[in-house]
Amino acid sequence: MSEKTLIKVNNITKIYKLGEVEVPALNGVSLEINEGDFLIITGRNGSGKSTLMRQLALIDRPNSGDIFLKDKEVSRMQTKKRRKLRLTRLGYIFQEYALIAELSALENVMLPAMMLRPIKDCRKRAKELLEKMELKDKLNNLPSQLSGGEQQKVAIARSLVNDPEILFADEPTANLDTTAGHEVMEIFKKLSQEGNHTIIMVTHEPEEEVYANRIIRLADGKIA
Amino acid sequence: MTKYELKIPFFLMWKYLRKGNKWTLFLIIFLMAIAFINLIFITSLFNGIIQASEEQIIDTYTGHIMITPKTGNDFIENSDEIVNKIEGVEKVTGVSSQTYVSGRLEYNRIKGSWPIIAIDPEKEKTVTNVHEKMTSGEYLSPEDTDKIIIGRQIAGGEDVEMDAFSFKDASVGDKVSLNLGQTTKEFEIKGIFFTKFIDTDQRAFITQKAWQEIDSSSENKATSIIVRLNERDGEEAIAKIKAKGIDETFVTWEDVSGLMDTVSSSFLSINVLLTIVGTLIAAVTIFIVIYIDINNKKRQIGIIRAIGIKPYIIRTAYIIQTSIYSVSGVLLGTAIFYGILVPYFNAFPFELPIGDANLVVSPAEYIIRLETIIWVAILSGLIPAFMVTRMKILDAIWGRN
Repeated sequence: MSEKTLIKVNNITKIYKLGEVEVPALNGVSLEINEGDFLIITGRNGSGKSTLMRQLALIDRPNSGDIFLKDKEVSRMQTKKRRKLRLTRLGYIFQEYALIAELSALENVMLPAMMLRPIKDCRKRAKELLEKMELKDKLNNLPSQLSGGEQQKVAIARSLVNDPEILFADEPTANLDTTAGHEVMEIFKKLSQEGNHTIIMVTHEPEEEVYANRIIRLADGKIA
Repeated sequence: MTKYELKIPFFLMWKYLRKGNKWTLFLIIFLMAIAFINLIFITSLFNGIIQASEEQIIDTYTGHIMITPKTGNDFIENSDEIVNKIEGVEKVTGVSSQTYVSGRLEYNRIKGSWPIIAIDPEKEKTVTNVHEKMTSGEYLSPEDTDKIIIGRQIAGGEDVEMDAFSFKDASVGDKVSLNLGQTTKEFEIKGIFFTKFIDTDQRAFITQKAWQEIDSSSENKATSIIVRLNERDGEEAIAKIKAKGIDETFVTWEDVSGLMDTVSSSFLSINVLLTIVGTLIAAVTIFIVIYIDINNKKRQIGIIRAIGIKPYIIRTAYIIQTSIYSVSGVLLGTAIFYGILVPYFNAFPFELPIGDANLVVSPAEYIIRLETIIWVAILSGLIPAFMVTRMKILDAIWGRN
């Protein structure tokens, strides 16, 4: 594992059980991701790309294999420790924005930070991020009062609020129109260029591959 | 646990309540209120029935203490002197001596053996309230020697429970005969009373003066002396009366109300059973409501966990939320109970053969039921919250069970 290696994946497998049927989603995937990478994981529907990302983002556990974050094995780590890593070092952006309906844009962004900092600081940081996302005048809007693109920008701001090392984005433009999708991708590009974040994104939009410095293609749960 | 994260459950709960559907919120609180009223209503009704019967026994029958002849005697001798002595005892507000007359009443060839009691009307007024319950005619005067007052169950008439065994609509001014075996004396009905306590309404009263004219040996004798106190508990007063050298048999109104004791015990058992059933119904209903609410937010809870919020924070938010639901429900239930139901049943009480029953709840019973509903709500909310925060994050996000 080189000094620059941030994530190392060794031969992981993931099998989903649907009733009596076992569906293999990942079948011996190994890879290394370096600090500062903008990695795109692509492949057809059902190829295992989202499953792989969820293992890397510590939302799910593989059936076998190892995942190292820096030099720590994290796939078998205690649930509490994995949660803490998700809160402090990883940011996750869901395909369907996944905002809390009852919270305003500002409050949605503040929420993860409230675990670690005083509310005043959280509010300040959330405001800064939303201003960066050009949502200065929509701070108090509920998700239902925002467009899809705006909601995804709020979700990105939320993922950044605790200043994570790694950003995971699961098809972040899948539900957006072309213009909004382009805006979102530009945000990721900017974040990558600023150099503070490693970005791992799942997409099956070929035109988005130009933003990445590395591309991994999955097919049938394996790296093609 | 960080000092900052403690604020999050309150923050989430506040936002859920403020920004959530107001109708759903109102319906949940209303449901809690109904569950609370369900727990308190039957208890208060049973209490009301028991209290009504106790008050009727005291107010129309025995007073707080009833003194009867000591074992082996038929009469309390020197009853006038005893009455005078008792009147001087602390906490005593009224004393009346009574003499049971062994005779049969006859009206329109209908004969019946009802309790006939000779009283001093003025003294009797200090203990019982029969004089306030005259539905026609007047109460007795001390000088009445040929007048009788009878209870509604003796007079009879439409809607009278014991009409079949009554005089079938006797009225004020009608004559009744008091048959004493060898002697018969005619009395005019001076008044008819209706206390709503069936035992009292089957009694008839004449004056002691009238009785002494028939039986001169009855002077200064009584078959019972009834005593009214300014407190319900008679034990202390009995001790003080005994200390005056009065050596008769003492019973309290509670001793006399033996039948109601059995009814009260049965009510207590039924009440416990209904409270358990009511609590279970409340628990299941609240569980279902909270479960549906949490189930609808399952994906959201999964997302909150995915971004690193601790499960206990989500559970705490739900505990606070269900506490607010239940406290609001109890407050609404209390407002409905004391603001609508109690005044309604005060105005239109349940009419029973032992009297009019209102809704009565003691502070202790109220607090127990209040605590029950709050704890049941919290537990019922905690179980689904535990279920959803223990499931895998992905299962929660995908809405799997």
